[in-house]
Amino acid sequence: MENFDHILLFKTDIRSEEDKRVLQPVLDKNKNIEQWNVDLNDEDYVLRIISYKLKHEQVIELVQDQGYMCTELK
Amino acid sequence: MRARDIDKENLVKQKAIEIIGKGGFESFSVNKLAKACGISVATIYIYYKDKHDLLSQLATEHGHLMGQSMLHNFDPEASFEDGLRQQGENRYRYMTDNPVISLFYEQLRTSPYQEQFLATFKADAYEPFSKFNENIVARGEVRDMPLEIYWSVAFAPLYALVKFNNEGKSIGGKPFKMNDKMLWEAFDLVVKGLKK
Repeated sequence: MENFDHILLFKTDIRSEEDKRVLQPVLDKNKNIEQWNVDLNDEDYVLRIISYKLKHEQVIELVQDQGYMCTELK
Repeated sequence: MRARDIDKENLVKQKAIEIIGKGGFESFSVNKLAKACGISVATIYIYYKDKHDLLSQLATEHGHLMGQSMLHNFDPEASFEDGLRQQGENRYRYMTDNPVISLFYEQLRTSPYQEQFLATFKADAYEPFSKFNENIVARGEVRDMPLEIYWSVAFAPLYALVKFNNEGKSIGGKPFKMNDKMLWEAFDLVVKGLKK
C-alpha cells in the first residue's frame, strides 16, 4: 500500500507572489525539504511540502516565524 | 496513513467536470470539490500539486478520452459516407451518454486549459482524420474546401441537436429529446450537401 506520509499539507495565508518570495529562501535552503509549492489560486492557499524528515510542527514554526499563518491541513 | 484510492480519484475527476460544466472554471475551487466528493481538501492535495495541476491533468486526460472515443471503429480509408457516419455516431454517443462532458468541453474551449486538451486530442486523432479528409477529396467524393467550412457543415447540425437534447429543450424552449432517427435524418442531409 502506497504511503503518503512524506507529503505535508498546510493551510496558510501565503496569498501572493510577494508572500511566496518571503518564504522562498527559508524553504529552499532547508535540506530536509525535497520540494515545496503554494497554491496561490485557491482559497486555502495550501502549502505542500515533500519531506521525509520534517514533522508538521517544524514546518508550522518555520512559516510562523516569517509572520504567516500556518496550520496543518487535515 | 493515507493510501491511494482509485474510486476516490475517479470521483474527484467526475465531480470536477460536473462543477466546471455547471459553473465554469471561476466557480471551481479545491475546497468546493472536496465537499462535493465528501472527502477532505487534504486528500485532493495528496494526488495533485495544486489546483492548476488538477485542471491540467483533467484537460490532458480528456483530450485523450475524446480522441479515443472519436476513433472507435473509424477507418481513415473508408468511403466518405461510411467514414462520416462512423464519426457522427461516435460523437453522438459520446456526448449523449455523458451530458456533463459536453458542458465541460464548452467551458474548456474558452479556458487556458484548451491547449493541453487539444495537444493530447491531436496526438491521437489528427493523423487518422487528416488522412480521411485527404482521401475523400482525392477520390473526388467531396470538393476541396477550407476545413472550417467542411467541419461546420459536417458536424454543426449534430452538435446543435445534441445541445438541444442535453438541455431538454429546443427552439423557444420547446421540450425536446433526440433519437437515432433524427441523427440519421440530419446526417443524410449533410451527406447530400457535401457530396460532389
